[in-house]
Amino acid sequence: MSNINRRDFLKVLGWSGATVAVAGCGNTSVESGAETVMSYVQPEDFVVPGIGVYYASTCTQCEASCGVTGRVREGRILKLEGNPESAINQGRLCGLGQAAVQHHYNPDRLKEPMLRQGGSLQATTWDKAMALLAEKTGNLKGEQFALLSGGLSGHLKVLVQNYVDSLGSKNLYVYDALTPAVNRAVSQKLYGTATPRFHLDKAQVIVSFGADFLDTWVSPVHFASQYAQFRKAQQRMPSEKARGTLVQIEPRMTLTGANADRWIPIIPGTEGILALGLANALLKSGAAAKNLPAAVVSAVQAYDKARINKETGVSGEVFDKLVTLLSERSPSLVLSGPSAEGHAHGAQNAAAIMLLNVVLGNVGRTITAPAKLPFPQLAAAEGNSAALTAFNDGLAQGRFKTVFIYDANPVYTAPEFMKLRDNLQKAEFKVAFAHYLDETALEADLVLPLDSALEDWGTHIAAYQSGGIELTMQQPLMEKLYPNGTRSLGDVMLDLLKQRRADEYKGFADYYTYLKIALTRNKGAFSDAPADDEAFWNQALSHGVLRVKGQEQPISVNAAALDITQPAPTGDDQFPFHLVPAVRSGFRDGRHANLPWLQETPDSLTTLVWDSWVEIHPKTAERMGIKEGDILEIASKNGSIKTQAYLFPGVQPDTVAVPLGQGHEALGRYAKGVGVNPFKLLDPVFDQSTGELAMHATRVKVSKTGAHVKVVKEEGWSPLPINTQQGRKLVATIAADKANLSKEV
Amino acid sequence: MNLNRFLCIAGQGAARRLAVGLLLTTAGVLGASAATAASKVEQPIEFPHDTHAGKMGINCLYCHTYARRSAVSGIPPLQKCMGCHQNIESVKDRPRIKQLFEYWEKKEPIPWKKVHDLPEFVRFSHERHVQRFYFKQERPIQEACMPCHGDVKGMTVAEKVQPLSMGWCVSCHEQDHRIDNVSAKTSNGPNDCWQCHK
Repeated sequence: MSNINRRDFLKVLGWSGATVAVAGCGNTSVESGAETVMSYVQPEDFVVPGIGVYYASTCTQCEASCGVTGRVREGRILKLEGNPESAINQGRLCGLGQAAVQHHYNPDRLKEPMLRQGGSLQATTWDKAMALLAEKTGNLKGEQFALLSGGLSGHLKVLVQNYVDSLGSKNLYVYDALTPAVNRAVSQKLYGTATPRFHLDKAQVIVSFGADFLDTWVSPVHFASQYAQFRKAQQRMPSEKARGTLVQIEPRMTLTGANADRWIPIIPGTEGILALGLANALLKSGAAAKNLPAAVVSAVQAYDKARINKETGVSGEVFDKLVTLLSERSPSLVLSGPSAEGHAHGAQNAAAIMLLNVVLGNVGRTITAPAKLPFPQLAAAEGNSAALTAFNDGLAQGRFKTVFIYDANPVYTAPEFMKLRDNLQKAEFKVAFAHYLDETALEADLVLPLDSALEDWGTHIAAYQSGGIELTMQQPLMEKLYPNGTRSLGDVMLDLLKQRRADEYKGFADYYTYLKIALTRNKGAFSDAPADDEAFWNQALSHGVLRVKGQEQPISVNAAALDITQPAPTGDDQFPFHLVPAVRSGFRDGRHANLPWLQETPDSLTTLVWDSWVEIHPKTAERMGIKEGDILEIASKNGSIKTQAYLFPGVQPDTVAVPLGQGHEALGRYAKGVGVNPFKLLDPVFDQSTGELAMHATRVKVSKTGAHVKVVKEEGWSPLPINTQQGRKLVATIAADKANLSKEV
Repeated sequence: MNLNRFLCIAGQGAARRLAVGLLLTTAGVLGASAATAASKVEQPIEFPHDTHAGKMGINCLYCHTYARRSAVSGIPPLQKCMGCHQNIESVKDRPRIKQLFEYWEKKEPIPWKKVHDLPEFVRFSHERHVQRFYFKQERPIQEACMPCHGDVKGMTVAEKVQPLSMGWCVSCHEQDHRIDNVSAKTSNGPNDCWQCHK
């Protein structure tokens, strides 16, 4: 059979036509008796082989906590969809969420605990590991223990917090590299709440300073559905003829920027100056100065059009149009995003931007306060990067003997200047709770494998609540793939707490029991809760969403609390470019880089796959003699990376952008060795008021290395210096009579 | 919900479907239509279809209960066997029944070998065929199942008697079949590629 070539095959296909036998098809498993087929021993009544059963759970791919339903067939999870009962995502689910099944079935998942013996990690057992944890935390002073965790909410947060307390330690560091922590802090000052509710659907105009709310910012699936309503203004308000208008102001185009009616590139760091200029012009053109302190009103007067143009690079004409748009159409909504907040004066930038909402009278109309959560101990701790700085300082000073790391990969995400990898070695005993042998787990002394999100129990309360507060349930969608190998962190925390506070926790056999008891005891806090405990629990699991009876509260405005002073923009002759570490929706901080679906998904704007690249403006590239595919060296004061050039008009000419998430030295077969990691380049610049790492404040220089590659991308190639549809063969065609099929096929 | 009672079956199949293994290797197309001849597969228990369907006259759908509701007919759950055999004292000492009880006591599924298998890129629905040829046409069940599965009344373990090849499927789809027991209307089976290859 193997010596039949293609042409012979085609001939044969021609002879026998539709009746050609495909029974064998080279697939030996089709032979009778080649495969085993297992039946159920005792099936559930509702289980029919071949027909899916849906279970509700919560997506843990990002911090939005969307509700999901998983299709389970023959005991295996096949596909995730959005849960229509969740007000967060209303039945929708993004590509990142869909890809969660690939974390679950990932071939690189950790399958057994590993202990460092003689310099390398060797397999061990959970019994030995738990005994070791007891030993290494037993005679420890509280301050010698530290736990670095990713974002936490719900009952897991309580267990983790209680465990750290039980050790007499105050060192729980909740870290997330990409949380909008500066935004939260400034919102808290201005509105009295860190997470105000935004009503995109009620706005006539949205002006977003780098908030990529359609792709990577806060709760993208929720905002996308609000955005759809915003774009249908006529349906929403018959009297209003125009649909909503979106203006995006940012140094590097995001997916939201690509959807905007007007995309305005701006010199990084000068967003606050533009915002104050707008406030000044709006106040002059008659906006009410109500709620504005006199000091603010006088401070903005220094920002006139000429200054805006000079310092921000935004032309007078564009500025005027923006003022007209904002003064003519109301209500509007002004959002502050990471590209404005990632500077030493990030909080001032955010304050200046949010001040516009006060000037425009949006507060209370498109911005309202979230309902009050009756149990703050379950509220989301989103984490921030100041926590990493504090954790790293503790390590550097040798204060920690035993450290636990969960849901974070700081060896990968910490910039080079932190020297975190070296500092970690100063701790005697390092425990990584992980799904993969990632960069951090490789440095650990004990690696404990966790259940996948589709095997685990949990409760989640998203930090950003769109309507009333909802608690989303996480339940296993199938049996564990490695039942003796992986454990739930909830179970581990309970076991550890039993080592410390046996009396308090003896009533909870496992994490599942703990959740069930904790929730049913508080069922009065949820609306429509059945009186019977079992009925309540079954309802919680079958619907996946519990609505909390939260108290609605009015929003307050305190503009006097804001610091809006703007430093003068500075240049740097040696490092002339601003670096934008761009967030990709699929990879986020790099934790999802080992999912081949996401590697394979072309980047939304550049269409590149399976790699890193540096985006550079075509005019800048022309000036420097750079062509697409040239390997460039991007060097900051703290490190350098080399990657391929991609000419992109959606980047401000003095800025280069490198996407985050690639450049892994470990993690798994799909991530390792692919692309470069721009986290490493970041300069030690911190937001002055919150201590957050200023992600967008790094200066770099760009030089050619002489090497060149062909860029792998979906959009095809164009003879023009930048990529357009022009000249592209969308569908290659050839006349049938001209084709020599023996060559074409 | 109790997931513990789920059994993970057809694991490899599901994983392969996830990986979308649609590999239509060209040379293989020419291969084996050889499996036409009935071939008896060795099973962990030599299940006597002749006794159940033949001698006792039990309806196929009594045990293959999923065939009317799902694309796959499903191997009957062990509980199904026990539902009757726990109460049939006369055959309890027979070696095959002893084997059955052993599996039941261990709560282990019987590792049956697949006899009628199709490639992953073919979607065959038992439900469509059983609904049409059994329920709508009101024919005896044997007549509805026999065209593909042969006369099981004369077999112990199931044997593959038809090639289950595309040409063989098409040869039946080309014919006219009555749409139900009442009207004289007929229709043939679909011949769109995507009906089976989707």
